[in-house]
Amino acid sequence: MDGRRLLDKLFKATVVALSVAVLLPLFHIVGTIIYEGGRTLLEGGLGFLAGPPPLGIGPALAGSAVLVVLTTLLGVPVAFLTAVLAVEYPESLVGRAAKLLSKSFVEIPTILVGVLMYTLIVVPMGSFSALAGASALAVVILPYVYTYVEEALSSIPRTYREAAFSLGLTRAKALLHVFMGIARRGIATGILIGVAKAAGETAPLLFTIGGGTQTYFRGLGAPIDAVPLLIYQYVQMPSEAYHRTAWGAALVLTLLYLAVFVAVRRAVKEVKY
Amino acid sequence: MRVRSDRLLFYALLPFGGIVVALFALLINVLVDNSIPILEREGLNFFTSPQWRPSETPGEEFYGILAPLYGTIYTSIIAVAIALPTSVSLAVFVTDLAPPRLRELFIGLVDVMAGLPTILYGIWGALVLAPFLKDRLMDPLHTYLGFVPLFSCQPVTGYTVFTAGLILALMVIPFMTAVIREAYSRIPDTYREAVYSLGATDYEAARTLVSMIRPAILAALLLGFGRAAGETIAVSLTVGNSASISACAFTPGYTIASLIANQFANAGLYRHMTSALYAAGLILLVIGLALNTAGLYMLARWRKTRVGR
Repeated sequence: MDGRRLLDKLFKATVVALSVAVLLPLFHIVGTIIYEGGRTLLEGGLGFLAGPPPLGIGPALAGSAVLVVLTTLLGVPVAFLTAVLAVEYPESLVGRAAKLLSKSFVEIPTILVGVLMYTLIVVPMGSFSALAGASALAVVILPYVYTYVEEALSSIPRTYREAAFSLGLTRAKALLHVFMGIARRGIATGILIGVAKAAGETAPLLFTIGGGTQTYFRGLGAPIDAVPLLIYQYVQMPSEAYHRTAWGAALVLTLLYLAVFVAVRRAVKEVKY
Repeated sequence: MRVRSDRLLFYALLPFGGIVVALFALLINVLVDNSIPILEREGLNFFTSPQWRPSETPGEEFYGILAPLYGTIYTSIIAVAIALPTSVSLAVFVTDLAPPRLRELFIGLVDVMAGLPTILYGIWGALVLAPFLKDRLMDPLHTYLGFVPLFSCQPVTGYTVFTAGLILALMVIPFMTAVIREAYSRIPDTYREAVYSLGATDYEAARTLVSMIRPAILAALLLGFGRAAGETIAVSLTVGNSASISACAFTPGYTIASLIANQFANAGLYRHMTSALYAAGLILLVIGLALNTAGLYMLARWRKTRVGR
């Protein structure tokens, strides 16, 4: 075998080895979470899912549900309508600015969004709150939802657009009756990704929701707990019992994430015009 | 009639675009406004001093951002140094070498990695990876290669700059791979065919093709660095959270993001710390936006080249 062939073999072996090596941690992460979290879940059963901390994650799970709903209500309309603005009025100044900024939002470290909402909401209200947490999460999911909706709307074939307008539809009506129908999968995917992000983010919640509460939802202006924040706090506790709860919570979060992931995959794969 | 209704829709949508613009302005305004006190008090020393000294007596308080800034750059460099060759490999493997079924599988799994909540990287990094790395990698490396500055110190725990860098590498690989893969698969087939028709091996072909997307690789590097620098949760759980500046990767460190995560809640106990943390946040934002802008600029330039179009 000459040098060239040898080098080629070596190269391929390295590329394959590196590519496989990247995936090993992923398998180990998910495997460990299933194993460790599974133990916690089996021991605790329903008491783990519904009970109070430190042995259960009931309040955190309920809190996460509230936060996800609230975040969707706050974030999705803004992201959606901004995307419509950017696609339908691309020459307008605000449309262009919104497009540029919506994409830049991904690059803002999420902890700074938490700091922002702490300054704007927590300090004036004098208390941590579900509202502050959901506002921070809404900003975090904005670029993701925006990107999907924008892509879905701008990938509508020109002929469909022209057909809609040639029927004499106004832009609003065309949007409502024609464009949204065509782009619905992309829009749904964007919302789903937003939901997954809202459920999994930790940093924006650090200074906004308070966390560590023993009680369930007490109102928009009251502190609330969330699953990712609970994991973050319990991992840092020195005692093994807290780690057990954290692993269980991590399993719940992983299953939620994978469920959304599979749903998104199916939706995106089936997109056809 | 139609034109008027179109304009109405535009005005109805305007406030939402306005919210996005306003949020951005508010973020910058909040950070700048609250940074001014510490910058007026300490001036340039805020950037150049490695000391982070809270005190009950406001007169003795002093805050320098150098150590966390150093930690941010150090962990991000480790992350990118590991992630870059791996991402290029993944992109080449998935695009050129893997059979179609394997390709789909790999792309799917890398996508799973990309979206995995950061707290899951965090819990695994803190409870599994850190102890493992200390016993199996850092201790042996120090024992046998201790003369290399990078490995020169005895790791006390697994919570080190190196651990955080490795976790960050895992987190930015999917993202950098996506950027590189997009560019790599964009190279027109005629180029691929031309290279192979000259009798090139897969290695020679890949080397030629990868060199064609150099701007995109640089862009991935910048964007990945920006991501790594801003990441908070997984880093704060693995980096050790103590302010130090050392060439050795096995010491605990701090990053700006983990500094804010750990101290912002209690900063109110001191007179000047809150402002110092806002200023730290401002630096983080500036770093992130600068790297992002540079990265996107590189990408845009590459798309204008003959290969990238």
